[in-house]
Amino acid sequence: MVTPMLAELTGNFQVGLAALGSAIGVGMVGWKASEAVGRNPGAFGKVIVLALLGMAFAEAIVFYAIFLGSH
Amino acid sequence: MRLVFFAVLLFLLVLPGRAAETAAINAAAPAAAAPEAQPEGLPMAATTAFSIGPFPVTSSMLVTWIVALGIILSARLATRNMEKVPGGAQNFWEWLVESLHDFLESILGADLVKRTFWFFATIFIFILFTNWFGLIPGVGTIGWGVDTAHGFEVTRPLLRGGNADLNMTFAMSSVFMALWLIWAVQCNGVGGFLLHLFGPKGDSSGFIKYIMVVIFFGVGCLEVLSIAFRPVSLSFRLYGNIFAGENLLEAFSHIVQHPPWARAVASALLPVPFYFLELMVGFVQALVFMLLTSVFTALVCKHEEEPGKAREGH
Repeated sequence: MVTPMLAELTGNFQVGLAALGSAIGVGMVGWKASEAVGRNPGAFGKVIVLALLGMAFAEAIVFYAIFLGSH
Repeated sequence: MRLVFFAVLLFLLVLPGRAAETAAINAAAPAAAAPEAQPEGLPMAATTAFSIGPFPVTSSMLVTWIVALGIILSARLATRNMEKVPGGAQNFWEWLVESLHDFLESILGADLVKRTFWFFATIFIFILFTNWFGLIPGVGTIGWGVDTAHGFEVTRPLLRGGNADLNMTFAMSSVFMALWLIWAVQCNGVGGFLLHLFGPKGDSSGFIKYIMVVIFFGVGCLEVLSIAFRPVSLSFRLYGNIFAGENLLEAFSHIVQHPPWARAVASALLPVPFYFLELMVGFVQALVFMLLTSVFTALVCKHEEEPGKAREGH
């Protein structure tokens, strides 16, 4: 019963899975960045630079899947 | 003058890349379908706006020229009569350049920033204003097109976001990789550069040292692979963000289709929150490009003082 259901699934799984991982990654970076600033509000400048860097790396994976994946 | 040099360099780099890249992307992406009831996404490659003789000029190229010209002109005009206590436009440019300089100095260190500041500041300012220029109403919506059932549809816009063209972002990434190589060799020397990549780090003595050499050589090969991937990641990150943003705005303009009055109103009002998102994304992507390129440079050029060893004269 499961297999015919699975067979009906359509769409772009590759990008979907990549987006899932990427979004979770970006969210985790944001979570930890907010936590760090909450513990040490004076470190906002340094934390945000590192957070942006981490988010950029995590976000780029989904672009590879979209544009570099098969067709 | 550096700004002019860099703008010309970018233009020259886009030239050979354009034909190859457009052919590749047009082959890779399925051909844009004829106008249908469903809204199509934007074409992945920029379309030709006009041709200068045999040389086609895409809408994105045109935008980069306009933005470069705008930056150069406004910077020159603002600093025509330099005053000790600046006001207005000169103050704006001084604030921008000084903030960037302080920021980059904290990443790169004082002597490296003297040599490389021109590139990172130009990259930031150029990408920022190119991204924001793509949000001006009219960019991407005014141009040549076809008449469809839903009214006139623009298929070849006159202007399109400059970084929504992979050629442009790849050109900038390639220029950075070339400069990175030059700066790395300038900082370390050719032998020092190779040692930096492949040489063993840390202290080890005796037999272990030889094993470490082999291991670090393997690590160096992996590092070369990751460095070779950097132009791809830099270009696709910027391209993906800006192209996806344009696509998003286009999609939200076309969501309401049926009552024509609702379509006209919604196509103007619905994208407004996303314009704010794109303003932020444009700024963040410019910042991230500059941050990443400066961090890559700092990684290869800066040598930290190790606490246990005294390094003479470095």
